[in-house]
Formats: sequence, structure tokens, C-alpha cells
Amino acid sequence: MFEIKPMLSALWRNKISALLIAVQIALTLAIVSNSVTIIQERQQKIDRPTGIDVENLIGITFMPVPTEYDMAGAVVADLDLLRSMPGVIDASVTNQLPLSGSGSASGYFLEPNQEIGDLTANYYHTDPHFINTLGMKLVAGRNFREDEMKILGAHDNQISDVAIVTQQFADSAFPEESALGKYLYSGRDDHPTKIIGIVDRHLGAWPSWNLAGNVVFNPMLITGNHKRYLVRTEPGQRDAVFKQLEDKLAERDPQRVIHVETTEENKRQSYSGDNLMIKMLSVVVGLLTFIVALGIVGLTTFWINQRTKQIGIRRALGASRSNISRYFLVENSIIAVTGLTLGGTAALIINEAIANNFSQPPLSLSLLIGCAIVLLVVSLTAALVPALRAANISPATATRSV
Amino acid sequence: MIGYYISLAMRSLRGTPILSALMIAAIAVGVGASMTVLTVNYMTSKNPLEHKDSVLYAVQLDSWDPNESYNRGGRGNQIPWQLTYQDATALLRSEIPARQVAMHRFGFTVTTDDSQVRPFVANARVTTRDFFGLFDVPFKHGGTWEKSADETPTLSVVLSSATNAKIFGEKNSVGEVIQLNGEPFTVVGVIEDWNPSPKVHDLNNGAFNDSEEIYIPFGLHRKFEIHSWGNNNGWNSGGNEGVTGYEAHLQSESVWIQYWVELDSAAQKRDYEEFITNYIRQQKEQGRFQRPLKFALTQPSEWLVLNEVLDQDSRVLAWCALAFLLVCVVNAVALLLAKFLRKAPEAGVRRALGAGRGSIFTQHLIESGCIGLLGGLAGIVLTLVGLAGIRVLTDDGFDRVAQMDWAMVFAAIALAVFASLLAGLYPAWRISRTNPSVYLKTQ
Amino acid sequence: MLKMQNIRKSYRTDTIETHALRDFSLEVNEGEFVSVTGPSGSGKTTFLNIAGLLETPTGGQYLLDGQEVGNLSDSERSRLRNEKIGFIFQGFNLIPDLNLFDNIDVPLRYRGFNAKERRRRIEKSLEQVGLSARAKHLPAQLSGGQQQRVAIARALAGEPRFLLADEPTGNLDSLMARQVMELLEFINEWGTTIVMVTHDPDLARRAQRNIQIVDGQVSDLRQTIAQPEAAIA
Repeated sequence: MFEIKPMLSALWRNKISALLIAVQIALTLAIVSNSVTIIQERQQKIDRPTGIDVENLIGITFMPVPTEYDMAGAVVADLDLLRSMPGVIDASVTNQLPLSGSGSASGYFLEPNQEIGDLTANYYHTDPHFINTLGMKLVAGRNFREDEMKILGAHDNQISDVAIVTQQFADSAFPEESALGKYLYSGRDDHPTKIIGIVDRHLGAWPSWNLAGNVVFNPMLITGNHKRYLVRTEPGQRDAVFKQLEDKLAERDPQRVIHVETTEENKRQSYSGDNLMIKMLSVVVGLLTFIVALGIVGLTTFWINQRTKQIGIRRALGASRSNISRYFLVENSIIAVTGLTLGGTAALIINEAIANNFSQPPLSLSLLIGCAIVLLVVSLTAALVPALRAANISPATATRSV
Repeated sequence: MIGYYISLAMRSLRGTPILSALMIAAIAVGVGASMTVLTVNYMTSKNPLEHKDSVLYAVQLDSWDPNESYNRGGRGNQIPWQLTYQDATALLRSEIPARQVAMHRFGFTVTTDDSQVRPFVANARVTTRDFFGLFDVPFKHGGTWEKSADETPTLSVVLSSATNAKIFGEKNSVGEVIQLNGEPFTVVGVIEDWNPSPKVHDLNNGAFNDSEEIYIPFGLHRKFEIHSWGNNNGWNSGGNEGVTGYEAHLQSESVWIQYWVELDSAAQKRDYEEFITNYIRQQKEQGRFQRPLKFALTQPSEWLVLNEVLDQDSRVLAWCALAFLLVCVVNAVALLLAKFLRKAPEAGVRRALGAGRGSIFTQHLIESGCIGLLGGLAGIVLTLVGLAGIRVLTDDGFDRVAQMDWAMVFAAIALAVFASLLAGLYPAWRISRTNPSVYLKTQ
Repeated sequence: MLKMQNIRKSYRTDTIETHALRDFSLEVNEGEFVSVTGPSGSGKTTFLNIAGLLETPTGGQYLLDGQEVGNLSDSERSRLRNEKIGFIFQGFNLIPDLNLFDNIDVPLRYRGFNAKERRRRIEKSLEQVGLSARAKHLPAQLSGGQQQRVAIARALAGEPRFLLADEPTGNLDSLMARQVMELLEFINEWGTTIVMVTHDPDLARRAQRNIQIVDGQVSDLRQTIAQPEAAIA
């Protein structure tokens, strides 16, 4: 019924055009499947839980004008002020802002006086309010006590007695047992830092870092030439609090320059590269599919115009409308499947290349097949319009001689 | 004859408006997508120091951990990007380079006597005086500071033209005093607008960030306990015995100073290489530089490549865009073939009337070229739309990158015409080879 | 003018070889008006295509205006076609997108005349066929007979020595057919050699000489004596 053999020989006579469509479909599958893989990976990365209350956090950075400045005193006064503001849940002092792209990391050893074999982690110098301020969950151990806070100069030896770490860091440092009560050391040093608590999750300052999630918190205030605070507001209060912060802090002490930013904005900026990649690749995928569909419509229309008479003759000889449209749909399927087979192979080869050269994620077979099915449907839909029109060609065409 | 072919092409395009629009749209979309990506990549890879590429070198010394080589995310040449403070000050003593710059980024609070100007934090570049000469930074007023200011604390400052405008309006502020971190600094110079993109002289702190607002002499480190507002990497946290506080930081193995030299001749470069080799040998004797002797002098153009200013995502996008264009070309081949074959009878008549195969081929190739030209013009519009989209999606620094210059406008048209000529090659050849007699008979 | 000796032409598909012309020999003299008749499939069109340099024979010798054309390159044959040969077809084969002026312009463009010369020739040939007033019309706006006259004007504009007509009146009613025929006879009077393929015996008889092609060969070389006076009347 499908007249596969005459159809194939008709295709063979139009082989260049058919091949061009197949090549388009092949290239499209190769590009689309690889793009979708990258899009998926980036989206998963952005969607990772941060472990913190991103929507309600505000970061403050200030720099005093005078060179001689009582930083420790200012921090106590500022935090009292911040915590007393209506709409504020809690506030902490910190050396870095989460998800901001700017922060510090250090190597940690599990034995004293080591030179090699350290684990790198992003670290915070903060205070006992940090768990509540960031909205994290303590899964084991305890929080810092006020008396564990160390106040140090910018160039003092900044080693803490106690630390809280993320579950991820705890697991990579002590895969076999609980990290609670274990000790960490700096390189070439024997001062122990005891792990007293574990929080479930925190991505740290650089969400795109390959070790993001390895975070160590220390109860410490470094009196450098600038300081940062984190403020967590009640839901819905962030923007109202945000507006007052600079004025309130300047009112308490005008001798400084203050910068306020939301963690949500920091997060957006940190992921802007990934976001750009997602948007650009989505546009490419969309346009490409559209272009291929246009190409198929154009060429199928052309073929049908070329064969108007032939179609008329077939109709006159008893072919039904559905026979005619089915003919063109089956013909299109043959081309599309050829293209998709070629394209699937090309997709895997290209993926191999970009995975090796540009550190992009591997392509899964199920995704490749999914994309192929979508493209097949697009191709058939594109062919459907002219195919239905072909079915409307009158059998009388056959008898018209000129 | 070309004019005749062009008028025929336009007539033919008008004759099949839908198919023509389809082809022009396909080429335009392909060109728009690829030019958007290529423009960003082109602007990203620009070398603002092109004109001094052969004489400038970024200096790297391998002073890193004997246990493992320097490695930052797999990029670079496994030598630290920056120098330690002690190495930088030692290199500064060399008299071989025509100019040399040790520098890093920092920030100062700025206050003035004028109560109208609110205190602000200014991004500062702490640098030696040669900075302006070495990187060809033009002065609007005044000039750089005295040589002595690079070693002994001198409260001098050079302002960017925007900072000058912010504090003093359009006035020449040379000789005026501003407070930086509460200390009085005398303005010795104001530079013209200078904002190279990418910021090749400092790729560590955002390759597309704006240039600094103030420039401060290198001799002030101890006075202000200046550290780097940028990458600061160390491996030996122990430090020297008995030295504590800021002095320990200056004598540590932390790398945080960027170093550039200007070497005017090959001989000068050889001498300088020898100088560095000797320096490292001498340091080795004192127990430092325990890794194999290694250093690098890198020209700006290579420095951009080494730092992967054009990141991997951009490369993936570039390939993706070119593949997209390829699909558009294949699409155009198919549609042109359909269009030309439909006009085969006309070509047959022309052949009968004396047109050679070459004429028919040229006529159709020119028709493809016209489609490309129109597609290219539409593609430029789409590129502008795409770049506007990128500016919306990215942060401030990228604004200057997502811009089309004239070279890119011409490149867009050239790409479109090239793509469509390529696409037209086979269909035009095919139609020129068709036996005319087939089409001359009725039916 | 035209001399064919032992021309052979065969078409080959994957499976069969068909001989369209076999040992075909014919001579047409300068200024002659020759009609060619024959049943369909006999090779008339092949003969015309070869005579008009649209196709090359598989074998044999073809002299056009004393010049051996069998071995010429495509571009040389195109140039000869352009300069020496005019074509008139049953389907007129005017280019539908171009107005009358531009249609006649086509061969002159390939000839490389300047704009002034082209305009002179176009206007002159439109005048010859009596369609000067309609230079800006498209072919579709004309009747069949008028279209054929434009096609003749186009064929004449290059002042060819040799006119090939393929069923020039096949698509026309008898009145128009007569007008076109008279035009051809008039052109022949002025010295242009005409070879006309037709299956209309009346038209064939009006030529000075009629040849018949059967099965790819000239079957009958008897001359039909035409009366020039009658043709003009």
C-alpha cells in the first residue's frame, strides 16, 4: 500500500534535494541535542539548593574613612542596630558575601605540620548568629558560643579553635566516620581547629567553583580596613529594610562609605554567564528548528508543484485524498529518519569533541532519542501542510493537456 | 552585464516573494545568530595593546610550592600569574627595561573639603610611575609622580578624568588636595578617558571591568598596610621566623603583584632574561624558588590567550553559531535549487537565444548574491537585536563588548554574501548544465 | 548555409539506447525556406535541436555557414546561436516576467551591444511585427498571435542569417497562423534562411522545399516548388 519501492526511486531522482533536507535535519539534531544537554546542565546548576534564604538576605560592605578606626567597637554597635531594626530577623558580621563571586579559600589538613594532601574550602569569618542569619540548618553538633569569638588584626595568624563545616566538606574530609569532634590544621602548623558543628548545605562565595559547597565557618572578627554584614529580613520585608540600611548605618557613624546589595542580585550576577548560555542556546535551538521546518515546507511544496500532474493522474486512477497525503508524509519520514540517523551519529561525535575540548557535559542516549522524536514530529508537521494541499489537487488536472 | 544580472535577480526575487523572503530570512537569521556570537568573541579577543605588542611583556616567576605546580582551574602555564611583593621590589631595581610596572588593585575612601561630594570608595591602582608611559595612557593635565614616590611614601595621586569631573567638575585639579582614607593626597595629574576592553593589563579582576578611578604610588604599602583587592594566592602560611603582622605579608610567598616590562629590542630582552635567570639562581641559594627554574615573559596578545579571556562557553557558542549558519546555508541550497529549477524553462530560452553556460551560471550566482546581500542587511538588524539582548542579560562591563563596529558590519554583509554564494554554487551550476532543448518544447 | 552529413544522435538511459537520428544528411542553401515534416517521434525535434546547436550529434558532420560546428565548445556554440540563429517555438517561449522590450533585449544583451544599439534594434524589430505601441506590455497581456510575433521580433532583432521555427503556428487559430506564416515568408524574402518544422501539410507546401523525416532519416528529397509570388500574396 505504501508503494515504498516507487517512492524510493522517485526520491532517488530528487536525491540532491532529499539529501539536503536530510543533512539539515542531521545537523539540527546534532546541534539541538548537544545544546539541550548543556542547557539542562546549566539549569540544574542554577537550580541547586543554595542552603540559604536567598530571597531575604542583604549584604552590607563598609569602609571607614579614617585610617585609625575602632572596627571591633563599630561592629558591635552596628550589629545591635541592625538586629533591632523592625523586619530584621538577624544579622551577622562576615568576611565575604555568599554567592557574590568574591571570597577566600584555604587548604585544610587532617594532620598537623603537613605540606601536601590538603582539602580546599571556602571559609567564613563570622559570629554565632550566622546560622540563623543565613537560614541554614545545623544537622549535627552545636553552634558557636560568644566566648569563642576571636578578634584579630588583618595580618595576625588567623587560626580558629573551633569551626563549623558543611556536610559536603565533612563527608569529603571524613568519608568513613562523623567529622564531629575531629580536628583540622593549616599547612606547616600544629594548631588544631575542632569541628563542633555541621550544617546541611552552603554553596559559599563562588557557586561556579568546582568545589562549591566545601565551606568552613570560623568564629572570628578580623579588624581590616573594611567589614561586611549579612542581614536576614522577614519574608516580604527585604526591600523596605534595604532602603533604610545605608541611612541608618550612616546615621550611627557617618565616617564611612557604605554599600548595600541583595543576595538575590549577587546570585543573579554569579549565574549570569550560565544564564546567558541557556538563553543563547535556547534561541539557537528554537530558531534552528524553525528554519528547518521552513526548509521542509518550502521543498515539499516545490516537489508537490512539480508533481501536480502526476498527483492528478493518481487521483484519476482512484487514489484517495488520504493516499496522496500519506504518500508525501511517508516520503518525508524516510528523509527525516535518514537525517536523524546521520544526525544521531554526528551528535555523539560532536559531543565527544566538546566534552573533551570545552569541558561540557556528556550527551545521554535518552536525550538524543527524545530530541530525535521531537524533530521527527516537527518534520512531519512541516510536511503536513503541503501534503494536505496536495490531497486537494483535482483529478481533472490529469486531463488538462497544457 | 553585471548590472543586467542584478536587475534580473531583483525581478526574479519579486516574482517569487514568499520563497525569496524565506531564503532571505534564513540567511538573515543565520548571519544574525553567528554575528551576534562572533561580535562578542571578536570584541572579547581584541588586544588594546596591539600597537605595543612587540615590546610589552607580562612577567611571571615560578616561586611556587615545591610540592605542586601552580594551577588555577587548568588555565595558563603553571606559573603564578602574579609576583610576590619581595620579588616585585627586587625586579624593580633592574635598569634594563625601558619601563617597568609593578601594580595591583586596591580601594580608598575619598573625601573632599567640598561637602557637596559624598564620601565614596574609589577603585585604586597602586602602581609604579611608569604605568602611564608603558600602557600609553594620555594625560589631560599634569603627569605622573616622581621616581622617588615608588619607594618612599609620597601622598600623590593621579585621577581618572571621570573622578576629576566628579570631584572638581571640568577644572584642572593638579595641585589640589583630596583625602584618601583620611590622609591628604596632592593631585599631580589627570588622565584622559582611558578604559581598554578587555582590560589586558589586569585580567584577574574582571577582564571587562572599568579602569580604576585613582592611581597611587607604589611606595605607600607600609604606610597604609596596603594589600591587594584582587587575587591573592599563597602556599606557605608559615612565613619567616620572627616577622609578624603586615611585614610578614610583604615578605611572604603570597603572589599578588602584577608585573609588566617594556623591552625595546631583542638585545634588551635577552639581557633581561639573563637578569631574571641570575635573580632566580641567587634566590635559590637562599632557599627560595625550589621548583625547576622557570619564568615567562608574555606579550599582550598571548597574555589574552593564556588567560582565556575568550572562555570556553564563548568558544562553544561560536561553534554552535557557525553550525547554525551551516544549516542555514544548506537550507538556502535546497530552496535555491527549487527556485532555480522552477525557472529552468526561462534559462532554456536564454540558452537558445545565445547565452552560454557561463552567463546562466553567473546570472544565477548573482541572484544568490543578491539574496545574501539582503539577508546580510537584515542580519545586521538581527545582530543588533541579539547584542541588545546580550547587554540586557549580562552585567555592566559587558556593555562595551556587545557592540558592533564597522568592521563587524562589513563582516556581517561579507559573511551573508559569502554564505549565499556558497549556497548558490551548486544550484547555479546545475541550472547552467541543464539541457535547454528539454524546456523549449511545449509542455 | 547548413550542411549535415551522416548525422547520428542517440539517447541513452540506463537500459535502452534510442536512435533519434541515423545517417541523417541534409543541405539547406542560403535564402531557402525549407519545411520539415514527419510523424511524431520521427526525429524532427532532434534535428532542430542539432541544427540550432542546442544539442551535439553523437556522430557525423555538421557545417553551419561553412564552419564545422561539431567540435565547438559550449561558449562558441552559444555565440554562434546568438549571432547567426534565430528561434521560433510553438509555445512562443517568451519570458513571462519580462515585458516585450526586455524580452527582445535578451539576445542583444548576450551579443554585447551597447544600450543605444539595443534600443534601435528592439524598436526596429517591434515595428517590423507591428507591436511598437505595446513595448511595455507583459506577454500575458497579448493574444497568442501577438506573442508569436514578439517571439519572431526577438528572433530577428539580432539579424540572424538562419531562422529555425518549431511548429510556429501550432498554438494559433487559422487566421493568426496565416498572419505568422506571411510574416515568415516576408522575412525569407529579405534573405533570411528559414527551416520550419511543422505537421501541417498546407503550411509545409508553402515552403520552397519540403523534406520528410521518418525514423530518424530523410525519407524524401523531392522538392516542392513553391511560388514566391503566391507566398507574398
